Amino acid sequence: MVILRSLRILGIETSCDETAAAVVEGGSMVCSSVVASQAERHARFGGVVPEIASRLHVDVITDVIARALVEAGLDFPELDAVAATHGPGLAGALLVGVSAAKAIALAHGIPYIGVNHLEAHLYAAFLEEPDLVLPMVVLLASGGHTMIVHMIDHGRYVVLGRTVDDAAGECFDKVARFAGLGYPGGPAIDRLAIDGDPTSIRFPRPMLDEGYDFSFSGLKTAVINHVRNHPDDDLPDLCASVQEAIVDTLVIKLMRAAREVDAKAVVIGGGVAANTALRTRVLDEAARAGIRAFVPARWLCTDNAAMIASVAWWRLHSDGPTSLASGAYPNLRLPVVG
Amino acid sequence: MAHLLCIDTSTAQVGVAVVSEAGILGEVRLARGRLHAEQLAPAVSYLLAELDLSPSGLAAIAVGNGPGLFTGLRVGVTTAKVMAQALRIPVIPVSSLDLLAYPLRHTRRLIVAAIDARRGEIFHASYRRVPGGIQRLGAYQVGRSSALAAELQAGAQEVLLVGDGAVRYADEFNGSALIETASAIHSHPSPGALAELALARYQREEFSQPWAIEILYLRKADAEANWEVGR
Ligand SMILES: [Zn+2]
Repeated sequence: MVILRSLRILGIETSCDETAAAVVEGGSMVCSSVVASQAERHARFGGVVPEIASRLHVDVITDVIARALVEAGLDFPELDAVAATHGPGLAGALLVGVSAAKAIALAHGIPYIGVNHLEAHLYAAFLEEPDLVLPMVVLLASGGHTMIVHMIDHGRYVVLGRTVDDAAGECFDKVARFAGLGYPGGPAIDRLAIDGDPTSIRFPRPMLDEGYDFSFSGLKTAVINHVRNHPDDDLPDLCASVQEAIVDTLVIKLMRAAREVDAKAVVIGGGVAANTALRTRVLDEAARAGIRAFVPARWLCTDNAAMIASVAWWRLHSDGPTSLASGAYPNLRLPVVG
Repeated sequence: MAHLLCIDTSTAQVGVAVVSEAGILGEVRLARGRLHAEQLAPAVSYLLAELDLSPSGLAAIAVGNGPGLFTGLRVGVTTAKVMAQALRIPVIPVSSLDLLAYPLRHTRRLIVAAIDARRGEIFHASYRRVPGGIQRLGAYQVGRSSALAAELQAGAQEVLLVGDGAVRYADEFNGSALIETASAIHSHPSPGALAELALARYQREEFSQPWAIEILYLRKADAEANWEVGR
């Protein structure tokens, strides 16, 4: 594997509303990472509009790729492989990244690697901590997904639990929209919650004692009912209390899972992992339990292309290139063992 | 000799051609439907390999930039843009409606190209022959197939109608003796037409930089259209 070690891979990510490109060398050295967010263009609709997202990806893809190469100080012929998220995500949006990556693969005769976006989130932590110890338990929480994954070894996963309804990030977004805080909701609630009292309102923690699955739609309803009945409540208190209920649920289950499978480390990833309260709580609880915790930088938690290039390096190692005849897979699931 | 790679994915068809001053060297047409992302790259790879051409030997990439099937167009236009960017060569965008009309340029009739736009609508444009090619009359449009049928029937002009929109809404157009629908072999934009039109533009140095290429949607995203109505 000596030859593969220094491979330079260009990663492309277009599964939702971020157009991103990055160059990563040897699976963990980030040479560049560019993220062009479309959030502003979707804000007035209160969520990501797939057709608008797909159009914007086509408009900016060449620019984002060019910036990633300039930042890395490289030109196309110096790339050894090119990767793109091929699922899960919005169909029309995924196709843009997949087509762009294949175009570069065609132009320079280099391998193309189609990457699972969820698996990429699991690998984001390795970009900061290449020697992270396995097995570990990863909490992956974003606007589209909430799951606890047992990462036994590279490429070997068991999903211990997942949401049965709304994703945690979706719950943040819906509460924020209801409270008139705009879109995306997570960062807005995070900001306001700093000045609030998390114990002021006791919201439910659904399914807390039932395995590792999550349910957030009941919490969302409880928040809406509370606001209807107490319209004059302090907004920071509301935000802090909602956040507390979500963080509580996530962290309690994460730590319980880590103890049960005897994990050497716990890791968080996904857009919700950028939440300040969640980050602090995971570090505290892990320290108390004597388990290593790894909380990647915020930019590595939210969608980016460095994690795509990183996991591509591992998959190229184990599975070889992806066929140019492959497509986009909007409902792709995490490959699991057992 | 300049070699151009030509791509059109604006309908159910994946069309690829390679052209040089010596003529069209090869063409691939596959019409299996929604498989643009799966079939385009292998088709390009196959054609270049069979012609013993290296991608680095390409002088430009031509692409049908719509109007048409949104997902298909995004695959074709993204592939053309990024491949050209990676090879540092220019892109030549040509409307997919022009590609439908061009092969019929030997008729004296009015040529109307019509691509299925779903929801009872078609993308369309009218053309007439001029020495050496075709000339578009008026703008690229999107509208009800029934409205276009009524307009053509009232026009008292002989019309040759072409494209998958003409096929899909044949019932509405067939009523008039003035309108004839071209054979189904012309129903998808021709990569060969793209090759001829693009080579001429290449020789006149009428090309664009990859990042400047835009898709001709002719329709706003639904959410945007509804937003504007709601205001
Ligand atoms: Zn994500």
